[in-house]
Amino acid sequence: MLAMNKMKLLSAVGAAVAIAAVVTSCGDGTTRSRGWEFSRNMYDPLGYNPDQPNPNFADGKTAQTPPAGTVPVGFERFDYANTTDDYIRAGEELVNPLERNEANLAKGEALYHVYCAVCHGPEGRGDGSITKDRTLEAESRQLENFPPPPSYAQSDGINSSRGGTMAELSDGKIYHTIVYGLNMMGSHASQLSPEERWQVVMYVRELQKK
Amino acid sequence: MRHISLIFERVAKPISVALVLLFAVSSLQAQDAKEGETLFKANCSTCHKVFGKFLGPELAGVNERREEDWLLKWIHNAPSMVAAGDPIALELDAQFPTSMMTAFPQLSETQIKSILLYVKSEEDKKAAADAGGGAAGGGSGAVAAASGDASNFMILGLVAVIILAFAVILVLNKVIRTLERVIDNNKELIPAEGEDEEGPRKDYLGKLKKLAKNKKLVFFAVLMVAIFLGSAGWKTMWNVGVHQGYKPVQPIKFSHQLHAGVNQIECQYCHGGAYKSKNASIPSANVCMNCHKAITASDKYGGELSPEIAKIYRALDYDPETMEYGPDQRPIEWIRIHNLPDFAYFNHSQHVVVAGVECQTCHGPIETMAEVYQYSPLTMKWCIDCHKETEVNHEGNAYYDQLIAAHEQLKKGEKVTAAVLGGLECGKCHY
Repeated sequence: MLAMNKMKLLSAVGAAVAIAAVVTSCGDGTTRSRGWEFSRNMYDPLGYNPDQPNPNFADGKTAQTPPAGTVPVGFERFDYANTTDDYIRAGEELVNPLERNEANLAKGEALYHVYCAVCHGPEGRGDGSITKDRTLEAESRQLENFPPPPSYAQSDGINSSRGGTMAELSDGKIYHTIVYGLNMMGSHASQLSPEERWQVVMYVRELQKK
Repeated sequence: MRHISLIFERVAKPISVALVLLFAVSSLQAQDAKEGETLFKANCSTCHKVFGKFLGPELAGVNERREEDWLLKWIHNAPSMVAAGDPIALELDAQFPTSMMTAFPQLSETQIKSILLYVKSEEDKKAAADAGGGAAGGGSGAVAAASGDASNFMILGLVAVIILAFAVILVLNKVIRTLERVIDNNKELIPAEGEDEEGPRKDYLGKLKKLAKNKKLVFFAVLMVAIFLGSAGWKTMWNVGVHQGYKPVQPIKFSHQLHAGVNQIECQYCHGGAYKSKNASIPSANVCMNCHKAITASDKYGGELSPEIAKIYRALDYDPETMEYGPDQRPIEWIRIHNLPDFAYFNHSQHVVVAGVECQTCHGPIETMAEVYQYSPLTMKWCIDCHKETEVNHEGNAYYDQLIAAHEQLKKGEKVTAAVLGGLECGKCHY
């Protein structure tokens, strides 16, 4: 009788452990809920982060653009409009203000690989990762290719859509294109500071020699 | 029989010859169109689409619109034709004031012709698809609906199961009532059974009572409950305010697996703030538009704009037809996942630029996440554990140079003033 009880006990414990194991192994450890919180107000910031809603402004955003006619402290103006005429004017008038040295070139290269190489390719030949055939394994879906930009390389001898070859583009023309974008390329002014743009220009001039 | 086969043989020969010839010709054309496709993708797709206006005009119908000689000249050197005052060239130049047709002197006449052939073949393909499109269109729509909403199917299934369960309960209730009526009607016929029914029930109660008297068993049960409640309670208490694994539903189904993983876009491209400031910054929608002006994922949605990308267009009040932004813009309200409270100061650039910590160290395998969740607990213990182990790289860091210089002075027995340790910096007092 006792032996029977023990057997039952053991099997009951075994069953309980099995159920517990099954229940706890469910899911991948992620959850839609933040769970329990103690004094939530300590977690909400008092100051407004740039990407936070803000009831003090009519459009509800914290990140406001400066009012019309004002210039932020330390802001470098770029007195060329987004037109072909001003593109050519910038190409003639502007020269890279940075000293051509290893540190600036290295920075330019690093920035080029982050901000440009996705489309323009690691060597500026217009073969960046998003212009090539690639598949999203999870959905086994062939992804759309981004239209490839023209190559900078001298050896490819590709023409620019605004005249001349890509390899002949001057400092000012490249800078103007980074600020305003051109054709399918969008403006990268919000991602690169003026100094960083000139560093990228310096590196692109190197790629043109390939 | 033989007669028929003879006739067949006679007819078959010329037919097969004709077929082979036809196939050869069409495959030659296909070959050209294939080459044209490669050339089109490399040179023209930057500004042109076969169907629909892009930066330049729609190419469908271009073979009918323009003379072949004119097209050859135009593609070879468009700017010179504008300069020479060709009427069609001037008209096109006026139509597209912001962009200009690039000159392609490197393309040979045959190459240009194969591009034009590719455009023609795409038109033919579309015409064929439109002709047999009615039924196929309906079918693909049904497939899209089925693959699109698995959750709908599950909800419907659940509702069906609940209704079924109710029906079963109702039927069983009815059966019980009829059985009771039968018992009531025939009470005198089945007097003994009622007593028998109570027999085993009493027995069960007796057994339960016996078990309740078993002290070992009761102790064991109480112990189990105590351990379970204790561990669950302990775990819950520890995880109050810890959001590890938090994966909220975001307003746009943005996949890092696709963008950072497959497309290999650097983290910094969108989250540049992590390298320059305290915040890692959510990219403004103009950064999305750097690619999504062109990428519409329409292949996944049967030629239509992806509903997720449409949300970016909506936020920017962007019209893909005219490619212009409107005034009625409203921000995308992403849900914050990683929230370090204000009582702990954390600076991204200090960790990413100065210490050179990889994004994945804290954010986990972000390039494999279709939906982002909080990978690290972000507790104080977690911060401190890492700070205890991390070795400081002081090479080329002016702050540590100053500290080391001060130590050298101390070793030599020289006086170290507050000024040596940066005590004259404005920010030390006026912050």
